[in-house]
Amino acid sequence: MIRQSWWKILAVVILVYTILAGMLIPLKPGIAEVTPRALQAGTEVELTVTGYNSYYSKAKNELRAWLKLKGDVVLKAARIEVLNDRTMKLHFILPQYLPSDSKDDACSLILDSPIDGAIVLPEGIALTQDSVNLLEGKKLWSVDKMEELNAGPKLTFPYRSVLYESIRNQYFHVPLWFAMIFLFLFSVNFSIRYLRTYDPDADQRTLALNRAGFVFGLLGTVTGAIWAKYTWGAFWSWDVKQNMTAVALLIYSAYFILRGAFQDEEKKARLSAVYNIFAFAALIPLLFVIPRMTDSLHPGNGGNPAFGGEDLDNTMRMVFYPAGIGWTLLGFWVASVAYRVEKLQQRLLDA
Amino acid sequence: MNFFAQIGILLRKELVLELRMGYAISGILLYVLSTVFIVYAAFFQGVNSPMLWVTLFWIIMLFASVNAIVKSFVQENGARQLYYYGLLDPLAVIVSKMIYNISLLFFLSLLTWAAMAFIVGNKVEEFSAFLLALFLGSAGFSILFTFVAAISSKADNNSTLLAILSFPLVIPILMTLIKLSVVATGMLEDTGISKDIGILVAIDLVLAGLTLVLYPFLWRD
Repeated sequence: MIRQSWWKILAVVILVYTILAGMLIPLKPGIAEVTPRALQAGTEVELTVTGYNSYYSKAKNELRAWLKLKGDVVLKAARIEVLNDRTMKLHFILPQYLPSDSKDDACSLILDSPIDGAIVLPEGIALTQDSVNLLEGKKLWSVDKMEELNAGPKLTFPYRSVLYESIRNQYFHVPLWFAMIFLFLFSVNFSIRYLRTYDPDADQRTLALNRAGFVFGLLGTVTGAIWAKYTWGAFWSWDVKQNMTAVALLIYSAYFILRGAFQDEEKKARLSAVYNIFAFAALIPLLFVIPRMTDSLHPGNGGNPAFGGEDLDNTMRMVFYPAGIGWTLLGFWVASVAYRVEKLQQRLLDA
Repeated sequence: MNFFAQIGILLRKELVLELRMGYAISGILLYVLSTVFIVYAAFFQGVNSPMLWVTLFWIIMLFASVNAIVKSFVQENGARQLYYYGLLDPLAVIVSKMIYNISLLFFLSLLTWAAMAFIVGNKVEEFSAFLLALFLGSAGFSILFTFVAAISSKADNNSTLLAILSFPLVIPILMTLIKLSVVATGMLEDTGISKDIGILVAIDLVLAGLTLVLYPFLWRD
């Protein structure tokens, strides 16, 4: 298996595909900014919309826009003025009363274009009225109806606030951790085999898998820190997930130190196998149990939803799942090279 | 002789040895007292915040535990250990060491608490919660350090190795203990204290289970 090359070629093909697709597929068109954000009932307002990856001038006359309140009450834009692909001005004539029983309400903005598809800015705009008149408001707001919306471009990644373009890190950060877990899992398997058979080959495999796994863990931490810089505001914010990751990496560094502490090969192999099993058993609660039970910024921890739903659409899945397989295969390739180097060194020492 | 009788005999042996070689236990006691005194002297403005008190308490405990446990495999030479393994079940040896170390550390933590209360001032308000934290902490520390001391005693320069191997593993235990103790000082309201106790008990059980499974591969030389 180690000497065969088909799975290494497969790893390269998959990784080239995921890097190209992950970096080149554009984000779905979105709304980057809307001004003003607070509107007064009974006035004519001009909203300036700044788009992201949008093509307003291509769809000039077919653009439509609505303000939408709770309960599917909508108001269509009276006039749309396109300045360029990324900027347009929407004119709304707001009725005197809102269909609401309080003075303040919030609405969302819906844009629709045959090129960009339908884009929603949820709950982003505040509405105020001077006096409340529910009946009149309902009548005034029932003139416009929602129309059929266009589907957007197919091959895009989701446009999500906070994440924006950094959503592409999903194809690096997460698969690197997958690969690390698989490498450590196999190294534990070889540690158990060593303790059963006392075969030095199993110890060399454990060492090689741990070396590769440690490098992947470091890369996973670094990609995570870069992602954190753009989403949480700092490379390292002492979040529990980051702390536990650092602890896990320290535990595995101690494995390499431990190996250096013994002269006798058999003793070194036996004690490091015992410690390796111990370390893996400590790793799982560190990375997957404790962060879930305390407050954390990381998705899937501390009550946060995991990546999924609108964050992970079908286009992303087409890249994300192969990325997981590709990085894992690459990890085993690295480990197999480390194993062969170790073997050769051993042969040199024996000769 | 069955397993539990063996453990009983080994525990008695540990206690007798400890009392006979009085310098080991009195050395640890002096260590705790002098560290607490240094803390008092260093923080000449007084340790006012409960958070600081708790943190200092557990750091003193951590180093006192390492010092107390590192000797559990060092004070007896290899030949005598081999004699125990020939005579008794190796598992009984490690289990008796763990039980002995848990009680030693619990005693030590009570003493540290008393010393801190006497010299620095007591900040603990909920005694039962803090006693529970002390017990779970001594259990966690002693199980972890006993196992790691068993590994590092096989290498030459073993007190450094003990620190390197065990400190990363001890961080999650220490963080949970500090959280639990801060609740016991009354600084924070009870926010999921049972969850923290659950985490500590789970960590202790996992460590103890792994030690029992892996020790048979460790003792042989």
